Amino acid sequence: MTAASIKEKQSLIGTSVPRIGVDGKLNGKALFSNDVAPKNSLWVKALRSELAHAKIESIDIKDALNTPGCVAILTAQDIPGNNSFGIINKDQPLLAGSKVRFVGDPVALAVAISEDVAELALSKIHVTYTELASIFDPEESLAPGSPFIHEKGNLLGKRLIKKGAPELAFEKADVIIERTYQTTCLEHAYLEPDAGYAYFDSDGKIVIYASTQNPHYDQADVASLLGLEADRVRIIQTNTGGGFGSKLDLNTQGFLGLACYLLKKPVRMVFSREEAFLCTSKRHPLKIKYKSAASKDGRLLAIDVKIMGDTGAYASYGLAVVSRSAIHATGPYEVPNVSIESVFAYTNNPIAGAMRGFGVPQVAFAHESQMDLLAEALGVSPLEIRRRNALRLGSTTATKQELTASVGIQTCIEAIAPHYEAIRNKTNSKDSKKLKGVGLGCMMYGIGNTGTQNPSTAQVELQSNGGIVLYSGAADIGQGSSTVLIQIVATELGVGAEKITLVNADTGLTTSAGATSASRQTYISGNAALDAARKLKEAILTEAATMLKANRKKLYMKNGNVLDSSGVDSSVSFEQIANKAKREGRPLKWQGFFDPDTTPLDPETGQGKPYATFAFAAQIAEVEVDILTAEVTVKKIIAAHDVGKAINPESVKGQIYGGAAMGLGFALMEEFIPGKTVSLKDYHIPTFSDMPPVECLIIEEPEPTGPFGAKGVGEPALIPTAPAILNAIADALGSRIYSLPANLERVMKAIHSGASKMKFRLNQ
Amino acid sequence: MKHHINFKVNGDDYSLAVDPWRTLNEVIREDLNLTGTKLGCGTGDCGACTVLLDGRSVSSCLTLAVSVNGKSVMTVEGLAPSGEELHPIQEALIQTGGIQCGFCTAGMEMSALNLLNQTLSPSETEIKSALSGNLCRCTGYNQIVEAISMAADKMRDNAAEKEEQ
Ligand code: FES
Ligand code: FES
Repeated sequence: MTAASIKEKQSLIGTSVPRIGVDGKLNGKALFSNDVAPKNSLWVKALRSELAHAKIESIDIKDALNTPGCVAILTAQDIPGNNSFGIINKDQPLLAGSKVRFVGDPVALAVAISEDVAELALSKIHVTYTELASIFDPEESLAPGSPFIHEKGNLLGKRLIKKGAPELAFEKADVIIERTYQTTCLEHAYLEPDAGYAYFDSDGKIVIYASTQNPHYDQADVASLLGLEADRVRIIQTNTGGGFGSKLDLNTQGFLGLACYLLKKPVRMVFSREEAFLCTSKRHPLKIKYKSAASKDGRLLAIDVKIMGDTGAYASYGLAVVSRSAIHATGPYEVPNVSIESVFAYTNNPIAGAMRGFGVPQVAFAHESQMDLLAEALGVSPLEIRRRNALRLGSTTATKQELTASVGIQTCIEAIAPHYEAIRNKTNSKDSKKLKGVGLGCMMYGIGNTGTQNPSTAQVELQSNGGIVLYSGAADIGQGSSTVLIQIVATELGVGAEKITLVNADTGLTTSAGATSASRQTYISGNAALDAARKLKEAILTEAATMLKANRKKLYMKNGNVLDSSGVDSSVSFEQIANKAKREGRPLKWQGFFDPDTTPLDPETGQGKPYATFAFAAQIAEVEVDILTAEVTVKKIIAAHDVGKAINPESVKGQIYGGAAMGLGFALMEEFIPGKTVSLKDYHIPTFSDMPPVECLIIEEPEPTGPFGAKGVGEPALIPTAPAILNAIADALGSRIYSLPANLERVMKAIHSGASKMKFRLNQ
Repeated sequence: MKHHINFKVNGDDYSLAVDPWRTLNEVIREDLNLTGTKLGCGTGDCGACTVLLDGRSVSSCLTLAVSVNGKSVMTVEGLAPSGEELHPIQEALIQTGGIQCGFCTAGMEMSALNLLNQTLSPSETEIKSALSGNLCRCTGYNQIVEAISMAADKMRDNAAEKEEQ
């Protein structure tokens, strides 16, 4: 047996290793963010503005302080450091100082011996406001003469992308389709409301346990709020009950840090569901004006896209959404001539930030509707038009990035094609009251942050007992990154997954892996872990070669031993190697690093290489629309995803199943109406009975720069579902919906318009 | 004024003085330190707080602690008390991959147990309707449905075996 084939046999890549940590989640022992605080902790509660835009004249805390059991009332004045934070733009105060900018903006904290007392104390704080004119529409916000929400003005950011000569192409086009699409504000609705606990450890460090996607960022911003060096703050991620982007922001961490620092006491905080709804970030509502041109033979010639986004009161991740929505506006298609403009404005709406997909689910709804409209105008099938235009090896994207590897969109389309044709051949009878429809949705998604460095680091250490420890800053928020990182390291070192101890997402023990966002942990942190494992492997083999007096090239690793493949019956264990290296002072902990190869985008033309690799997908939705009740039932979803390599196929499927559910919610029911939506009673997410069977087709077009060929799937899973469902509704009714969600009212309208076009009979 | 209550949790007896407005969820989590039962909404809309009260599932966030006087509560910690052997529902959830972040899991397990206490051959529709009050934002539900029907099969086989002996 050669060393290569042995390695193959031992590989954990492509096997569904059970997730680490499931036992605790099953027996209730796993500690989440609201489970860690000891009984003597003080409770922190925030007083939040009920006005959308107002100047704070004064805050009277006397009565509140007199509440028995109230320990402190904290306001902006008490913040020792820089009272502004934010992942990209530091424009958000922890506690509003001069003015409030949305309903929910925090103005004061009560710290008390119980939650009830803290609440009572809050009710006794008297804030005097002078109300200012509020703006709830981004176009209005940018109109001349609008009141400024921030001193620098109301423009968050703008991204332009220019390629070719779109005006000329539109002149020569055989068909032009121009439509406007509108999406709505969405709530992440992760099941675990934000919570945390903070205390001073014996070294005088503030330790904060929190439900977070981004421990190293939290550390930097909390330290800056407190005016401390970063190493005086330690963030430890607890088990995290979902995040989907919203736990990238500082939700409880800043409040906990402040109260703990000022009072020198252990403190805890938990958001009520209402609070999580009111004041954590949302998905950006986008208005997308989309014009496409195609030739008779069904080739895309040009697009002209204008995106207007509402980022709400503060930036959060908004700037990332400005760029990403623009770059992805073509969809996974080659478009020779492109003009895209994406403009986002501040308003007095809730903060919009990162939500699974960073604007791509919104633009995918638009580009996929356009593809179907073009197909209809040209008399070709929706499948065929996608085939003709889908990106392939050698294609260039809107930013003129040439795709040189791992372009799986054609393969995804071919994988779903037979299913699509089979469903499409079922026809509706003219008298049926339940109309069937089938729709396609395709997407591409750039892995990692856009056109900027976003490195990850990791360490892998061989211990004296022969065990391996992997240190990674990556926060697993339920998607399964920890298990994947272990599989990568275990495979590289030829040991079982159980031999790897993972230490992760603790700023005291790990270095930064960057945020758990942009579907980046498998690709970027996976590569960093692999890099560290490779270096350790080199060190182990070098050590073993001396010990065995063997040819280093003939050595291989198996089950924690190094063996000689040249036939000599000798081996040495990791434990022996570790002890020798230790005695002789050689390092056993190795550092890994990976930063994807990207370049920044040109500010005028948007040209550049924003991502090192892209994931691709094609999905089918089969729906049934009841034309009497307007109820839409999704009957089936078939999802083909090019993930490069599925390191843990069950986890990949898990992401796809969950993504499809979130996409279904986006398509049919989810809508956050500021001021009206306060609880899960008003905000409906899919339940057991809404979910159809989902069939996953995993496509593996290996990414040469990915760990074992892997890319990512977390966000791609959700992106094609809503477009596929909306296209299926249009297929059933012969009439299209341009605003999400496709709720009963909108579907009913579409039914009437379909009936008036004589597509079907509405009455008996 | 505090009320005195006596009740069982996972077979253990407790005697506590509680304020009349406190929920069972708060008492289990804060006083008894059984934090496996979660609080996802506090308004009866998510199912994360589900426990069994005298064998029937209830939302512990809507149940007042005083109302459980003389009753018996079962939480997720009581599902496989020895900790060594997993309950068939737990085994099946691992097998089907029906757990991601795990925040909904305890509530899912208790609602599933409530159903399987009533029938060991639930149809897919029965499973979906019995768990309709339990939300999950991560998994898309299908693997949980599969797990419950798998657990039902296993429990039915176990019951049949027992009968044979
Ligand atoms: S916490 Fe009780 S139903 Fe949500
Ligand atoms: S596994 Fe996260 S909510 Fe169900």
